[in-house]
Amino acid sequence: MKTYEVFIKKEGKDEFRHAGALDAPDPVMARLYAREAYLRRAEGDQFWLVDRDHLIVGDTDLVAPNADKPHRHNDGSLVAARRKRLRSEEPRP
Amino acid sequence: MTASANVPITDPGVREFVLAFADDEHMIGARHAEWIGTAPFLEEDLAFCSIAQDELGHAIALYSLLGDDVDRFALLRDPADYRCCHLTERDTSSWDDALVRHWLYDTAERHRWTALLDSSLPELASLAARALREESFHTDHARLFLERVVAAETRHTIVASIERLLPEALGLWEPVAGEVDALAAGVTSTSSTDLGARWRTELDAALSDLGLSVEWPEPVAGQAGRTRRSDGFDAFLTSLQSVISIEPAAVW
Repeated sequence: MKTYEVFIKKEGKDEFRHAGALDAPDPVMARLYAREAYLRRAEGDQFWLVDRDHLIVGDTDLVAPNADKPHRHNDGSLVAARRKRLRSEEPRP
Repeated sequence: MTASANVPITDPGVREFVLAFADDEHMIGARHAEWIGTAPFLEEDLAFCSIAQDELGHAIALYSLLGDDVDRFALLRDPADYRCCHLTERDTSSWDDALVRHWLYDTAERHRWTALLDSSLPELASLAARALREESFHTDHARLFLERVVAAETRHTIVASIERLLPEALGLWEPVAGEVDALAAGVTSTSSTDLGARWRTELDAALSDLGLSVEWPEPVAGQAGRTRRSDGFDAFLTSLQSVISIEPAAVW
């Protein structure tokens, strides 16, 4: 049995989205099972199956340092704090 | 479906012809559904039960050509009034039998719907076109699954299962008396005998592709299987009635 990742696309401009995974003995059966497990209520009109063995999986250690770079974020909190301070110091007439 | 002067069907022969197909679909759907939660793996479980739901959907559509109160008609008739064949109503306690029956039945079902594509009843013709889109998946599923099972070590049990079920499968093609009227009225284009011959040709080709050699049983004339219920039928019907009989007048 192999595991396949299922991507489905709705009619129109939507992109393919990951829907889940399934187990099947081979690609032909996987297509039948994808139809029943993920598309039987017309959730999409196209689908891709990707053999999980063919996925290139990123290493979490490779990504981890990027979680600690607040200087790359601008969430507006500094500006909001400054405006709040200015408002309290100089109330409007 | 658009209402039409043709529905509900009034001709007794045509009614019996449609009823035989409807009861086959009802029973095979209900029997397939018994495998919910027990098919060999989740994906197959979903696929097999989806096929069961498709067959029940066909049954509902066919019953609705015969009257409005589909639930009561489907479940609360006297056992003697059912016209299913024994293949569809029988218990299959082994997965081999369930799979082989699915293959035998759905191969037959595709031929039966095809004979209805040009039906003089427009409702039946449009239903046939819709059903055939589902049936191509059913027959693919049955054939592909069978190919894979046969390639493994279980081929001898599959052959045994095919030979066990073939005598009852031939009963699929034993027509109800009303078929003569259905043919005369153009409700169906092809007799059961001719459809059965096409079915057998297709099965022989598939068996040859699978490398299986199967002994065909001699056809037994006059089994009258569709008007005589098999041994387990009453118990199965009772189990199907277990909820509706709590309060038959309930509106759902």
